[in-house]
Amino acid sequence: MEASAIVRTVRERAAELLASGRVDLVIGFEQGSMPMRAAPCFVSDADGTDRLVWNSFCGVNLARFLRGRHGRIAVVAKACDTRALVELIKENQLCRTDMVVIGVPCAGMVDSAAVEEITGHAGITGVEEADGRLLLTAGGSPVSLPREDVLCRSCRRCSTRNPVICDIAVGERAPEPEIPGFLDVDQFAALPSEERRTRIEAEMKRCIRCNACRNVCPMCYCVRCFADDAFPQWVGRGGDPGSVMSFHLVRALHLAGRCVECGACERACPTGVDLGILNRRMSADVYRHFGYRPGMAPEIPSPLSTFSPGDPEDFMLEPDRGRSCGCGG
Amino acid sequence: MTMKPAEPTGAVLVIGGGIGGIQASLDLANSGFRVYLLERLGAIGGAMAALDKTFPTNDCSMCILSPKLVECGRHLNIELLTNSELLALEGVPGAFIATVEQKPRYVDIEKCTGCGECAGVCPVRLPDAFNRGFSTRKAIYRLYEQAHPPAYQIDMNACRRCGLCARTCAAWAVDLSMEPVTHRLEVGAVVACPGFETFDAARIANYGYGLFPNVITGIEFERILSASGPTRGNLRRPSDGRMPRRIAWIQCVGSRDIHRVNNGYCSSVCCTSAIKEAVVAREHGCPDLEATVFHIDIRTHGKGFERYFDRARNEHGVRFARSEIHRVFQDASGDLILRYPEGGAVREEVFDLVVLSTGMVQSAANRELAARLGIELDEHGFCVTDTLSPVDTSVPGVFAAGAFTGPRDIPETVMGASAAASRAAELLSRARHSSTRSRKYPPEKPFGGSRPRIGVFVCRCGINIAGVVDVEAVRDHAAGLPNVVYAVDTLFACSQDSQRMIREAVSEHGLNRVVVAACTPRTHEPLFQETLREAGLNKHLFEMANIRDQCSWVHQAEPGNATAKAMDLVRMSAARARLMKPLAQTSVGVERSALVIGGGVAGMVSASALADQGFGVHLVESSGRLGGNALRLRSTLDGSDVASFVKGLSERVSNDPSIDLHLGAQVTDVAGFVGSFRSTVEEADGRRVEIVHGAAVIATGAEPHTPSGFLYGLDPGVLTLPQLEERISAGDPVAASCRNVVLIQCAGSREPGRPWCSRVCCSESLKLALEMLDRNPGIRIYILYRDIRTYGLREKYYLEARERGVRFLRYDPDDPPVIERGDREGGAGLRVTATDTVLGERFTIDADLVGLAVAVVPSGSSRRLAGLFKVPLDEDGFFMEAHAKLRPVDFPTDGVFVCGLAHGPKTIDESIVQAGAAAARASLVLCRDSIEAGGTVCVIDSAKCSGCGICALVCPFRAVEIDAEEHRAIVNEALCKGCGLCVASCRSGAADLGGFTDAEIHAMIGSFTSGNAGR
Amino acid sequence: MTTGENPSTAGWEPGIVAFLCNWCSYAGADSAGVGRHQYPSSVRIIRVPCAGRISPFFIISAFLEGADGVLVSGCHPGDCHYTSGNLIARRRFILLKSLLEHAGVEEGRLWFTWVSASEGGRFAAVVDTVTKRVRALGPASCLRRRFI
Repeated sequence: MEASAIVRTVRERAAELLASGRVDLVIGFEQGSMPMRAAPCFVSDADGTDRLVWNSFCGVNLARFLRGRHGRIAVVAKACDTRALVELIKENQLCRTDMVVIGVPCAGMVDSAAVEEITGHAGITGVEEADGRLLLTAGGSPVSLPREDVLCRSCRRCSTRNPVICDIAVGERAPEPEIPGFLDVDQFAALPSEERRTRIEAEMKRCIRCNACRNVCPMCYCVRCFADDAFPQWVGRGGDPGSVMSFHLVRALHLAGRCVECGACERACPTGVDLGILNRRMSADVYRHFGYRPGMAPEIPSPLSTFSPGDPEDFMLEPDRGRSCGCGG
Repeated sequence: MTMKPAEPTGAVLVIGGGIGGIQASLDLANSGFRVYLLERLGAIGGAMAALDKTFPTNDCSMCILSPKLVECGRHLNIELLTNSELLALEGVPGAFIATVEQKPRYVDIEKCTGCGECAGVCPVRLPDAFNRGFSTRKAIYRLYEQAHPPAYQIDMNACRRCGLCARTCAAWAVDLSMEPVTHRLEVGAVVACPGFETFDAARIANYGYGLFPNVITGIEFERILSASGPTRGNLRRPSDGRMPRRIAWIQCVGSRDIHRVNNGYCSSVCCTSAIKEAVVAREHGCPDLEATVFHIDIRTHGKGFERYFDRARNEHGVRFARSEIHRVFQDASGDLILRYPEGGAVREEVFDLVVLSTGMVQSAANRELAARLGIELDEHGFCVTDTLSPVDTSVPGVFAAGAFTGPRDIPETVMGASAAASRAAELLSRARHSSTRSRKYPPEKPFGGSRPRIGVFVCRCGINIAGVVDVEAVRDHAAGLPNVVYAVDTLFACSQDSQRMIREAVSEHGLNRVVVAACTPRTHEPLFQETLREAGLNKHLFEMANIRDQCSWVHQAEPGNATAKAMDLVRMSAARARLMKPLAQTSVGVERSALVIGGGVAGMVSASALADQGFGVHLVESSGRLGGNALRLRSTLDGSDVASFVKGLSERVSNDPSIDLHLGAQVTDVAGFVGSFRSTVEEADGRRVEIVHGAAVIATGAEPHTPSGFLYGLDPGVLTLPQLEERISAGDPVAASCRNVVLIQCAGSREPGRPWCSRVCCSESLKLALEMLDRNPGIRIYILYRDIRTYGLREKYYLEARERGVRFLRYDPDDPPVIERGDREGGAGLRVTATDTVLGERFTIDADLVGLAVAVVPSGSSRRLAGLFKVPLDEDGFFMEAHAKLRPVDFPTDGVFVCGLAHGPKTIDESIVQAGAAAARASLVLCRDSIEAGGTVCVIDSAKCSGCGICALVCPFRAVEIDAEEHRAIVNEALCKGCGLCVASCRSGAADLGGFTDAEIHAMIGSFTSGNAGR
Repeated sequence: MTTGENPSTAGWEPGIVAFLCNWCSYAGADSAGVGRHQYPSSVRIIRVPCAGRISPFFIISAFLEGADGVLVSGCHPGDCHYTSGNLIARRRFILLKSLLEHAGVEEGRLWFTWVSASEGGRFAAVVDTVTKRVRALGPASCLRRRFI
C-alpha cells in the first residue's frame, strides 16, 4: 500500500472511531514545523483527523503519551510502539481494554540527522517518498537518496516490523526480518576492556545530563527518577564522569528486559550519545540468558520478576581450593 | 476423643534434641506451652547436624538447621537440658513428674562465650566422635562448630585435670567442681524423639569394615563431604588421602537382612541417601568419578525422590547395579575388590572407596529410656504405635515421633514431631499459656526528632578480640566519629555487668542509638536488643560490628590490619546507626478458627485435632459424605480396621459442637490473610456463606489414575487395586474362587507422564495378596514389579508374602507385561506375558483376575484451590510445601497448611501424621490473640510508587499487592518477612526495608574508606 | 593493567566491599571465624537479609566510593531462607556483572558466589581468591566520582 493510501486509511478509521464515540481521543502524527519532522498530535473530534500523517519520520514512540489520560484512546502505532504498549500493560500502566490500536507496519524510520549530514546541511525544504527512495529538495536542488542508507540506527537492527497487538490493521504486513543477532554487541565485547572503557567514556563525555533520553522513553515513567532522588543520593546530579556513567548504567539496568529498542532516546539526544552501546548489551543478555524479547506477548512474565532453576551460573566465582581448607591441596 | 485431665500442667518434656525434638519443642513453645528439651549430648542438632546435604534438593543441612538451633536455644519457654537423661516418669497424663539427671558440663553455659581459647591450650587430644574419628578434638570441646548451646564442655573421661583451661578462660567459665544435678520436672505430657543409631557395620565381617580403611559408612562419608568436616569438604579416602575415582555404595547393610543380622525391616532412607552421596561426590570429586550403587531394590518412594533417582542415573551418570555383594577384599594399594554375581557368573570389580549404607537401629540407651517411660517396643527396639494413631505410644500422655518409631526421613520426622506436639496440646489445651513466661519491658522513650546520640561499646572478648585487635585504638577511633557521644571498651560485652553498664550509659549519656563491636549479630543481636528494650529504647536502634569473627579470629597474624579493619567496621556501623529509626510493631487480630478443606481422613483428623485443641473448625467437603479415599479401604497392610476407624471418626467429626460441617460444599473465593481470612463457601443448596478464619488446612486428597491399556475397561477381569479390594471385601465369588491372580505394579507410575512413585501400591498389593491367600489358600498370586518398595517396617509383609508362595517377577519398564484375552471358555480368562529380568525368561500366566497398581494422581480441584489461596503446586500437580525438609506442611503463604494425599502419595498412617502436623502448625496461629507485624518489613512511599507491580511479582510471600483503586503497592506487614527482594526490584525507589534501609546501607558504603568518616 | 607489580602501587592493598546475606553467607563468614580460617584483611562486610535485597545501586555505589572490588554472596540455590530471593537476585547479578564489564570495569573486580552457613573454609577461599584477583588489577578507577 502506498504511503498516501495508509494516510487515507488512518484518517478514515480515526474519524470513524471518534464519530462513533468508540474513542475519546486519537493519538497519531502530524506534519512538524519543518520538513523531515513529524510531531505527535492529539485529535479529539472527527474533523481534526485530516491533520494525521504517516511517513518515514514518525520515529517518536507514541506509547508514552497514553499514560495518565482518561477515557478510551486510539493510537496510531508501529511495531515498537505496540511493543512498548505491551510492556506498559504488563506493568499496570495501561489497560488494554481502554485502547484501540491502529497498527501500521513499518519499514524503518529515517534518521533526519543522517540526511542532513549527507546533504551537507544544505537546508532541506521538501521531502517526497517513492519506491523506497527519499526525493529531497536540498539547498534548492533535488536529491534522491535510498531510504535504506539513512535509516535510524535502531531501525537497521529492528527485529519486529509489524504491530504486536492491533485492533485495526492498516496496510499490508511488512516482511519480518530474521531475528538479528547481536553482532554489534559481540564485536564491541570482543574489544579489550581498556578500549571498551575508552569508547564508552568518550560517549559519556558528550552527555550533558539534559534528561532528553529519559523524557522520551516510553518505559521511563517513574514518579521520581532515581537520578533526582536526594536521600540517599545514589547517583550524583552533576556532569562528573562518575555521576554520568552511573546514571547511564543504572538506566540501562532499569530498562533491562523492558527496552523495546525503539531508538527514541538516541533520536532525542541533542549531543548524539550512542545510548544503545549500553542498552543493547542488556537486550542481548536478556535474550540469550532468559530467552526474552520485551514487548512480544503480554502473558510472558518479565525476566526480572521470575527465575529459572537453570539460569546461568558460569559467571559466578568458584574459589581456588586448597589454601584455606588446610588439607594440602 | 482425647480424655482430658481437669487441671493439667501446661508444660511438656521433649526427649531428644535432634530435628524431631527441636520441631516438637518449637511448636509447643510457640503455641503456649513450656518445654523442657532433654538432650543426652552437650548440644542439640542430632543426626541432621552431621549431614552434608539433604535429599532431594541437595540443600545444605546446616544452613537450614542452624536458624532452628538458635531459635530453640534462645526461646524463653524452652529450657534446654543438655547432657541429661531421664531417670523416671511418674504420674498420670496431664500431671507427670519427670526425674532428670543432668551430668556436669564443667563449663558454665551462661559465662562461656564459645571462644575456644580453652581448647587451644588443652593438652589432651582424642578422636572426634562427631567426625566419626576422622579428626581429633580436645578434652574440652564443642560437639561441632555451629553447636547450640555454643558453650564448651569437658569430657571428664579424657581430662587430665591439669587446669590449664580454667586458668586460660578469661570469662571464668570453667568449673571443674561441678556435680550432677537432679531435676524434678512437672509436665503434662512427654514427646519422645530420641532418634536412632546407625547399624554397626563391623557386625558383617564380609565387607571388611574396621579392617579396610577405605570401607566406610554413609554417615562417615557425609562427614568427608561436609564443608565443616574433617577434610573441609574435600573428597579424600582415609588410607592415603587420595581422591577416590571409583566409589561403590553397598545398600542394605544391616537392613533387609534376616540371615546375617536379625533386621527384617527396610531403613527407608538409605537408597535416596546413597543417591545424594553419589551425586554430591561427583560434584565435589574429580569430573570422571564413577559412582556405582549396588542394591536389591531402589526405594525412592518419597516426594520428588523418583525424579532425583532419574536425574542421578541419566544426568549424573550414577550406575545402579542390582547385585548383592558377597564379599569385599583389599589389595596392597588399599583398593577394594568387590565380588558379586552377575548373569550366573561371579564378577570382580575394583573400587577406590566403598561406602556402606548402614541402616537405622535402636540403641541400648533408647531401650533403657523406653523401659523408664514404660512404653512398649517391637522386636527391633522401635517404639510401638498404633497404625491409626501413629504418634501415641502404649502409655497415655507419652507421644513419640521420628526414627524412634521406625525408620523415618527428615520430613517424616518433622511431621511426626509436629503431630506429637498437637497430641500433647490436645491433652493439655486447658493449660495453654498457664506455665509460659513472658518478658516485661518499660515503655519506650519518645524518639521524635532526636539528634543521634550514639554509644559505642567495644568488646575485648577476653583476649579473643583484644589479643589481636588494639581495642583501645578502636574505642578512641569510635569516640571521634560524628554523633558518637560515648565510647567504652568492655571485657565481655555479653556479660551481665556489661548489660547493666549499657543500660546505665543509655540513661546517663542520653544515648538513642547503641553500637556494639563484638561478635556476630546472628547469635548476640537478640541479647543486646533485649538490653535496649530494658533501657527503654526501641530494639531497632541497635547495630553490631563483628570485629571478632571478621577481624581478630581471621587475621591473627596481622594485628595492624585487623585493627584498621575493626575501625572501618565500627565507623560503618556508626554511620548506619546515625540513620536508624525506631520501628513500630503493630498487631493484627486473629480469628481463632480454622477452615479445613476436604473431609477425607486427613481433613477429619486435622479438624478433630484442632477442635480438641480448643479451636473452632469449618470442615468443607465437596461430596455428600465424609471419608474420602479411605471409604474404599477395609483394612491396612498390618490389619488395622480402617472401616471402623473412618466410621468412628466421621461420627466424632459430625457430632463435635465446635466443628461446623459443610457437606456438598465448595470454597469459591478466598480473601484476607493469616489471622483473618474471609472465604466464601457455596453450600449444597447453592447458598453462599462467608467464613472468617485464622488459618486454613488443605486436605483435598488425590485420585486413582484411570489406566489406559492393559485391557482395562475392555475386560471385566482387569481391575484397579481399589476395585479389586472392593470385590474381595464384598465376598465376590470370582475373587474367592479364582486360581491365578496377577498384580501389576507401577501401572501408570514411574513413567514419563507420571514420573513419580505412588508409594502405596506395593504395600496395597501385598495386603490384597495376603488377604486373598487367607481366604483361598490354593490361589496362586503373581506380583509383577519393577522395585518392591515395602519401606520401613512394612518389609516384614514382603518376607511373609514370599514365604507364603506369592511369586515376585521383575519386569523391565521398556518391556512391560502384555495382557491378552485368553482362549479359555467363558471368556473370563486373561493371558499375561512378561519377561522376568531376574531369570531372564519369558513367561505366560493364565490369569482369572489382573489387578493394576494404578498411580495416585492429584485431585482435579487442586489447581483451582491453589489459585484461590495463592499457593504453589509442584510440577506433578500436588501441593508444594514451603520446604521439602523442614516445613513439610507449610506454604510460603502464612496461615495455609497442607496434609494428606493433596501433598503427595502416602499411606493412611502417614496422612494421619501429616494431618496432626498441619493442626499443630495451624494452632501456632490460632492460639494467639494477635499476630505481631512490622519491624523489619517493607514500606512503600506511595508518593513515589507508580504501581508497576514488580514488587508483587517477586514477593515469595504474597505480602505485596497493587491496590486496584489507588494503583499503588501496599504491603501486608503480617505477611512480609523482610527479605527486601521487592526493595531491590523497585526502580522508583518507592519501596524500602525497615532496619536495612537504602539510606543506611548507602551510609555504610559511603564510610568504608577512612577518608569518608563524616559522610 | 595485568599485574600488581606496578611500582606506584607497591605495598598497596585493595579495599573490597562484601555484601553477604544474613542466613548463609554471613553465617559462613562466622564459621570462618569460628574455624579460624585465616584470610586477607581486605574485605569489609555489609550484612543484608537476603541476596535479593542487594540493589545494583549498592555495587555501583561501592565502586563510586572507592572500592577496588565488590563481592556479593548469598545462599546456594535451594538454601534461601526466603525460598527464591537468591534466584531472582541471580538474574539481576548476571546482567549487572555483564553491563559493568561491558562498560570497562575490569573482569575480576566484581564477584558473585554462594557460600553456605557451614562453608567457613569456602568463605576464606573466596576472599583469598577475590583479593588476589583484585590486587593483580591494582586500584580501581573506572567508576570513581572524581575520575580524571
